[in-house]
Amino acid sequence: MTHPLEPRLAAYVAERMPDARDVRVEALSRISGGASRETYRFRLLWTDAEGAPRERKLILRRDPPASLIDTERRIEFEAYRAFHGSAVPVPEMLWLEEASDALDHPFFIAEEIAGYQAGPGLLWAEPYVGTLAALGQRKWTILGQIAKADPEALGLTQVMEPVALDASWARELDYWEGVLNDDEAAPLPIIRAAIRWLRAHPPKPAQKLSVVHGDYRTGNFLFDDKGGVHGVLDWEMAHLGDPLEDLGWSFNPVWSFGRGVPGGLLPREEAIAIWEASSGLKADPADLHWWELFNCVKGQAIWVSSARAWIDGGNREPIMVYPSWALQNAQDRATLQVMGRL
Amino acid sequence: MTPKIPDVLADLAGLVIRNASPDVDPADRGSALGLSAMLLGIAAQEWDRAAARLVGENRAIRELLSEAPDALGEGALADRLRGLSTGQDEDLRISALEAANATLRAALIDFHAAVEAAEGEPARRIEAAIWAELRASTERRLIAGAPV
Repeated sequence: MTHPLEPRLAAYVAERMPDARDVRVEALSRISGGASRETYRFRLLWTDAEGAPRERKLILRRDPPASLIDTERRIEFEAYRAFHGSAVPVPEMLWLEEASDALDHPFFIAEEIAGYQAGPGLLWAEPYVGTLAALGQRKWTILGQIAKADPEALGLTQVMEPVALDASWARELDYWEGVLNDDEAAPLPIIRAAIRWLRAHPPKPAQKLSVVHGDYRTGNFLFDDKGGVHGVLDWEMAHLGDPLEDLGWSFNPVWSFGRGVPGGLLPREEAIAIWEASSGLKADPADLHWWELFNCVKGQAIWVSSARAWIDGGNREPIMVYPSWALQNAQDRATLQVMGRL
Repeated sequence: MTPKIPDVLADLAGLVIRNASPDVDPADRGSALGLSAMLLGIAAQEWDRAAARLVGENRAIRELLSEAPDALGEGALADRLRGLSTGQDEDLRISALEAANATLRAALIDFHAAVEAAEGEPARRIEAAIWAELRASTERRLIAGAPV
């Protein structure tokens, strides 16, 4: 059965591959999961200038009518492009379309890194469960490389809003508190108490300006059955800021999958040591604690805004209900845990 | 819970009907129905306990608010909180209990912030009691299989 987007997608790509003939799109299918962009895989087939048949597996990421989070797709696209070919494995970006004419919503097309898994539920059984230590080593080594990278050398200061080293905490907290103020459907006493604490105890200025992935966690990278990581995904919340922000997010208890260790992979102190060795930076305990608690606020804001998108009718997919129903209370408990009150 | 359970159940009913059509992509159907099953399971956990949870929590918050004058002294905030503390849940519909719960939890936020800033042993004692209630509130809302 031909997906209705296939001929439109083929026409779009054909315009951008002037040397190609007989451009076709086949096997377009949506990849389940994800509440911020619609993700599809497809096969692109064409005849090249020498008359040889060519084929490539690609990914289409398209904005939905209303998203879990509001982000600039150009920022996401440029973040992937910046890190391609570096120590941070990411898929190759091909085309970014910011207009809605071609496929009804903005989108980008990237290579598919095929043959690997992303779903964290697979990790706790064979053949993956024996590789968790190795996977954790890679996870936090790669995060250290993201933290270490020079955003100016990567060209990302051209597309991402800069921030002073002593102001990144306030900018992020203001933003996510604003999301809560706009979107909450019911009062949240635990998160409001966390916000009061965060404002009363700000962290020290960031030790460097880093690219912050914004959602670096188990579930957002492709892994194999030997502990290898082959692609870091979901850069839609990428921005410039304090590198401890990403480290703190990776320690959000909500992403422990009930296994009691960060990401379900490694003890906290081991993960910190790996990150420090890879990044060349230090994770000051008090500052890291601040960013861990901040990330509880951010997480809660994301679950709240997911519910708001569903309530207001912008996106009635069941995936928009799941974070609020399944994670909002868990995030409250995580907040209490980080504050030493659980 | 938000979004509200009746609203979600009504939407899921429509989604199930739509996915009964043979024209739906099997992968899309699998994803939609799998998520629907998870949400139905959560709704099932909440069904029997919702009223008891809300009545118990509303009572616990009213008891805390009744201590506002002790913790804060007399004033407009203490008066407002004391006024809320005398309420009762006459209407046991979930929607009515949730509306009362929202009012009380909003008041609890104001009370908690004020108590944090207040001095004296009563304020410290009540602050500890508020944290205990907040912890208990998360235990009332536990979902099987939750990560925390």
